[in-house]
Amino acid sequence: MTYFVIFLGICFMLGVLAVASNPSPYYGVVGLVVASVMGCGWLVSLGVSFVSLALFLVYLGGMLVVFVYSVSLAADPYPEAWGDWRVVGYGLGFVLVVWMGVVLGGLVDFWKVGVVTVDGGGVSFVRLDFSGVAVFYSCGVGLFLVAGWGLLLALFVVLELVRGLSRGAIRAV
Amino acid sequence: MSPLHFSFYSAFTFSSLGLAFHRTHLISALLCLESMMLSMFIPLSIWPVENQTPSFALVPILMLAFSACEAGTGLAMLVASARTHGSDHLHNLNLLQC
Repeated sequence: MTYFVIFLGICFMLGVLAVASNPSPYYGVVGLVVASVMGCGWLVSLGVSFVSLALFLVYLGGMLVVFVYSVSLAADPYPEAWGDWRVVGYGLGFVLVVWMGVVLGGLVDFWKVGVVTVDGGGVSFVRLDFSGVAVFYSCGVGLFLVAGWGLLLALFVVLELVRGLSRGAIRAV
Repeated sequence: MSPLHFSFYSAFTFSSLGLAFHRTHLISALLCLESMMLSMFIPLSIWPVENQTPSFALVPILMLAFSACEAGTGLAMLVASARTHGSDHLHNLNLLQC
């Protein structure tokens, strides 16, 4: 089970590397989907299923869907996938930077493997993440209102940014 | 460093390097921003599990809400760039170039 979680962690890292090596955006979104699926599996394996579901619904089902149809604005005549030498070069360069950081920083105790799951402190009536997010509505209601106000404000920000033909602040240039 | 901690630490490093060494498209840089948010969400969700503090489980949800705002704003700028310059190529954003 520990090795399964480590495998999910490695696939998460590889998915993010696939995004970071900047291929054509059609392929970058694939890497992001893979990374978020691996991340959700990782969270479910540790027992926090609520935040994993929140990630799936909000991130994959909301934000990435919007990203995917916005990718249609970025059209390449010859899209570069991960077989292209430029993309592979960027990916290898990033791996080299992290590897140098590991070597120079001294990554000791890398073999100490262990995961604490959600039942590590005993069994309770309510699950750890469910009870934690419920605090959002009881003690953290101020944060809830601030977050809701911020989301509403973001709607108006987007409206102003994409306003009309040449009216508005950003299109006037 | 445990291998799982190294995994999301290096994921954050990869995506910030990918944002710094961007290439042609604005949306590739926005995708790197999104992967930075994802690689921060995972450790923020693991923190309450490792330290057995349930009330911290609120923080990843809050971060997800604000990262949704940021993604929407970034995509609005992408649309504005596509409508002004015809594409989202980063070399078109050269107003401050000397």
